[in-house]
Amino acid sequence: MTAEGPRPELGGPVTAPASENGAPNPSPGTAADGEWLRVHPASPFVRGWVALAAIGFFFGRDVFERALQGRPILEDQFAGRAPLLLAGGAVVLLIAVLGFILTWYFTKYQVSGGYVRVNTGFIFRQQRQARLDRVQAIDIVQPLLARIFGLAELKFEVADAGESAVRLAYLKMDDARQLRATILARAAGVTLDPSRPQEPAPEAPEFPVLSVPPSRLVGSLLLSEQSIFVVVGAVASVVLSATTGNAAFYLYLIPAALGLAASYWGLFNKGYNFTAAISPDGIRLRYGLLDTQAQTLPPGRIQALKVAQPPMWRALGWYRIHVNVAGYGALEGAGEGSGRTTLLPVGRLEDVMSILALVLPDPGTQQPAVVFGAGLHGLDSDGGFVTTPRRARLLAPLGWRRNGFTATDTALLIRSGRWWRELVVVPHQRTQSMALHQGPLARRFEVADLVLHTTAGPVVPRLRQAGVEQALALFDAQSARARLARKRQTTEQWLAQVAPGAPELMPAEAPAPTQEGQQHG
Amino acid sequence: MHTEAIDPPGIAWQRVSPKYVTVRLVQWALGNLITVLVLSLPLLLVLLDVWAWPPLWLAVAVPAAALVLAIWRLVLIPRQVRAIGYAERDDDLLIRTGIFFQRTMAVPYGRMQYVDIGVGPVERGLGLCTLKLHTASPGTNAQIPGLPAAEGARLREQLAARGEARLAGL
Repeated sequence: MTAEGPRPELGGPVTAPASENGAPNPSPGTAADGEWLRVHPASPFVRGWVALAAIGFFFGRDVFERALQGRPILEDQFAGRAPLLLAGGAVVLLIAVLGFILTWYFTKYQVSGGYVRVNTGFIFRQQRQARLDRVQAIDIVQPLLARIFGLAELKFEVADAGESAVRLAYLKMDDARQLRATILARAAGVTLDPSRPQEPAPEAPEFPVLSVPPSRLVGSLLLSEQSIFVVVGAVASVVLSATTGNAAFYLYLIPAALGLAASYWGLFNKGYNFTAAISPDGIRLRYGLLDTQAQTLPPGRIQALKVAQPPMWRALGWYRIHVNVAGYGALEGAGEGSGRTTLLPVGRLEDVMSILALVLPDPGTQQPAVVFGAGLHGLDSDGGFVTTPRRARLLAPLGWRRNGFTATDTALLIRSGRWWRELVVVPHQRTQSMALHQGPLARRFEVADLVLHTTAGPVVPRLRQAGVEQALALFDAQSARARLARKRQTTEQWLAQVAPGAPELMPAEAPAPTQEGQQHG
Repeated sequence: MHTEAIDPPGIAWQRVSPKYVTVRLVQWALGNLITVLVLSLPLLLVLLDVWAWPPLWLAVAVPAAALVLAIWRLVLIPRQVRAIGYAERDDDLLIRTGIFFQRTMAVPYGRMQYVDIGVGPVERGLGLCTLKLHTASPGTNAQIPGLPAAEGARLREQLAARGEARLAGL
C-alpha cells in the first residue's frame, strides 16, 4: 500500500469536478487497457421501463377498452384535436427517449492504471475514480428484467458506507463477468503477461463449497422469529375476535398479512438457490430466484462475522451467518442489503465450519473444530473460553456460563446467549479500536464490557460482563495482537501480499478449500 | 486523580485543562436552566390563577425534580472533567472518560483515518479546542475536549506523524 499523504486514506471514491474535455487522459503506458467503454445501449430502457410501461398502460388501456366496447377510439369532440394531442405525446416520448440516449452516451467507464473511472451526466457531469486495491466487494446483480435481456449490473464497493463507488448498469452478462475478472486480477496484483497486453485477465477458477437446498430455506423461514410473531398475532386476534364477537376485526389483518407474505416472499426470493464457492479472488456467493446476485468478497475484506442460532433452530442444528463488510454499510443491514450481509442464510454445523474456514483460512489454533464448536454451543470453559465470573451471575442469570471469549492466533471469538446463541469472530487484523465500559452496577460486581469497534454492519462485537482482571488482560493482549497482525499485513493486494510479483493464481495462504473444510469440520 | 479499576496499570494520564469546566458550565446552563425555566411555567400560571390544572403540588414537584437533577449534574461537572484523561502509548492513544459510566478506549495510530480539531465560541474565548479521532468504524467515538490550543495542535501533528509511520489499511 502506498501512503499518499500525511493522513491515511480510507480510499473512498474521489469525485472531481469535470474538466473541459470530459475525459482525463489515461496515464502513459496504460493506453492499451485504458479504453473508454460504454454500458449497454438498452440499459436506460431497462432501468426506465417502469416509466415507459406506465405511459403505455394509461394510453393502451383506454384504447383497448374503447376498441372492446366498439366505440370509436377517439371521442368526436377530440377527433379534431387528435393530431395535436398525438404530436404532444410524441414530443414527450421523444424527449424521454432522447434523455435516455444522452444518459447512455455520456456514461463511460475505464479500467486503467490501478483505478476504475466512471463519467456520468451530460448537464451536471461527474467523474469518479476509485482505487482498485481498495475494493471491498464486487457484486453482479441481475434484476428480473435485466436477466431476461441477458444484462447485469456491476457494483464496486470501496470502504465508504454511503453508496456503491461504481455502479455500472447494465452490461452484457459476459462483459460484466470479464470486467469483474479484470478488476479483481488487478486488485489482487496479478501481473499480466506484458507481451500480450490485450489479452483479458482470466477468470479465476472457483470451487463450490456449499449450497442451501430450497427445502431447508423454507423450513428456516417457517421457524424464523417472524413466524413466532405470526403465530402469536394469529392467536391473539382469534382470542380478541372471540371475546369481542366482532368478525370485522379480521379486515384489519389483511394489510398485515399482505406485508408478511411480501416479507416471506422477499426472503425466499433472496435466499433461493444460495451457493458459496471459493476462488483465489475470494468468496463467491450466488443466490436469488427471480433477481439473482453474485457477490465476490476478496480475501481479508470481512471485518467481523456473527454465527447465530435462534432457539427454534436448535433441534435441527441450523445456524445463520452475517458479516460486516466495509463497503456494504449499516443502512443496508436492514433493507435491501440484508441479503448482501448474509454469508449463510441457513446451514448446518459443517456448513458453518466450511464458511469459517473460508473467512479465516488460518484459524490460528491446533483444534479449530473444538474451539469454534465450543463457541457455537459450549458452556463454561470448554474450548478455552473465559466466561463471566460466578460472582456476577446475578447480572446475567442465564447467560453467565455462555458469555465469554477466547483468542486464537488470528481472531478473537466472543460468544453469548443461552437461548439465542451467538458467536462473533473478529480477525485481529481487522480490529479498529476498542473500549472498556463499566457502569456502577458492573463495578459493584467487578466486571466490565469490552467493545471492539468495527465497520458499520449487522455485527456489533461486545464482550459482556467479563471479570475486570480478564478484561484488562484482554484489552492489553488484544492491542498487542492487533498491532502484530497489522504489521504482518503489508499490502492491500492480496496476491502480492503472499508472493510479491508472482502472478500465481492460488495464494499460499488459501489452500484448496476441501482440505481446509476437512481440517475445520 | 487515582486510577480506576478498568484503566490499564502504569499509565501516566494527561489531564485536560481545568478551564474546560467553564465550557461545561456554559453548556449546563444552556441546557438545564432553560429546562427548569420551561418546566416552571405551569407553576407561574397556576400561581397567577390562569390555569386550574395542574394541582399546585404537581406544578411545584416537576420543576423541583428537574432542579435537583440539574444541580446534581452541576456538582458532577468538575469531577467529570477531572476524569477525562489521555495517554500516548507507543502504538495507540488511550482515552478515558466518565465517573459512573466509565470508558477506556484504545485507538491504534495506524487505524486513524483523520483527525479533527473543533473550536466552539466558549472554547475559543478560553483558548481551548476539542480533538476528534476518526477510524473506519462509526463506533469509535473518540474525542478529547478541553485541550489547550497549543497542546491540541501538537497532538494533532503527533498523531498524524505516528499514523503515517504505522499506516495500516482497513
